[in-house]
Amino acid sequence: MKTLKQLTFTILPVTLLTIMLPITALAHDPALHVKKPEKADCSHMDHSKMDMNDPVQIAMMKKCMKQLKDNKKAMKDMDHSKMDHSKMEHGKVK
Amino acid sequence: MNMVKCLLIICLLGLATAAFVVFSGIVNVAADEPHSDGVYWVLEQTRKNAIAKAAQNIKVPDLSNPELLLSGGIDYEFMCASCHLKPGQNQSDMSLGLYPAPPNLAKLNKSADSLESEAYQKIARENYWVIKHGIKASGMPAWGITHDDQRIWAMVAFIKKLPSLTPEQYQILTAID
Repeated sequence: MKTLKQLTFTILPVTLLTIMLPITALAHDPALHVKKPEKADCSHMDHSKMDMNDPVQIAMMKKCMKQLKDNKKAMKDMDHSKMDHSKMEHGKVK
Repeated sequence: MNMVKCLLIICLLGLATAAFVVFSGIVNVAADEPHSDGVYWVLEQTRKNAIAKAAQNIKVPDLSNPELLLSGGIDYEFMCASCHLKPGQNQSDMSLGLYPAPPNLAKLNKSADSLESEAYQKIARENYWVIKHGIKASGMPAWGITHDDQRIWAMVAFIKKLPSLTPEQYQILTAID
């Protein structure tokens, strides 16, 4: 009987703690504290519906136009003649 | 003479009580244990009035330039959003854990006050002062030590627009080029 009591009061709490600790650790998401620099997602912008009197829309437009220009410049700056076409899978290009 | 003695005793008792509170460790400073309503009211009123007085003579510049939203947006995302949240977010580890709880700036001040209205000018002055100088023992840092006035005003301009932004608009405005 004493052994059963000892078992209940020692092993059971330790077992429960062992199970609970990893659960509480999982409840905290470290991703919340990580700030990764993100590029603006301009894919949903409909430029035809822009209100050019709204400072928010003007700012968004500026940001997306800048990104577009930077992308075009990056494409221009690429030296296509030095590309190794043998490693490119042209069959997968749509 | 009796009156003087009485006052002296009251003063000594007051000092003894203050010393007891300071040195005994009786005050619970845990952030997960809220103040009583009375203490909370006293601290809130003190904070509000101190900010209003300190900011009353600040001149608000023109905050209508869209460029301010771009600069202010990036700073907001990296300096403020983890505590003061962003569109589509209701809580974070910081907003839950800090006491007093930081205000959710993505939901506050949804009024359609124009930039020129006196109500908004007051909010802008006070936001500028709080961002620049911080608030003691609240978790709000003094960003003025490391950021110039122009960047702080840009954040004030962004905070004005924040409650009206969708998560998609917020993402574009706060993204790094």
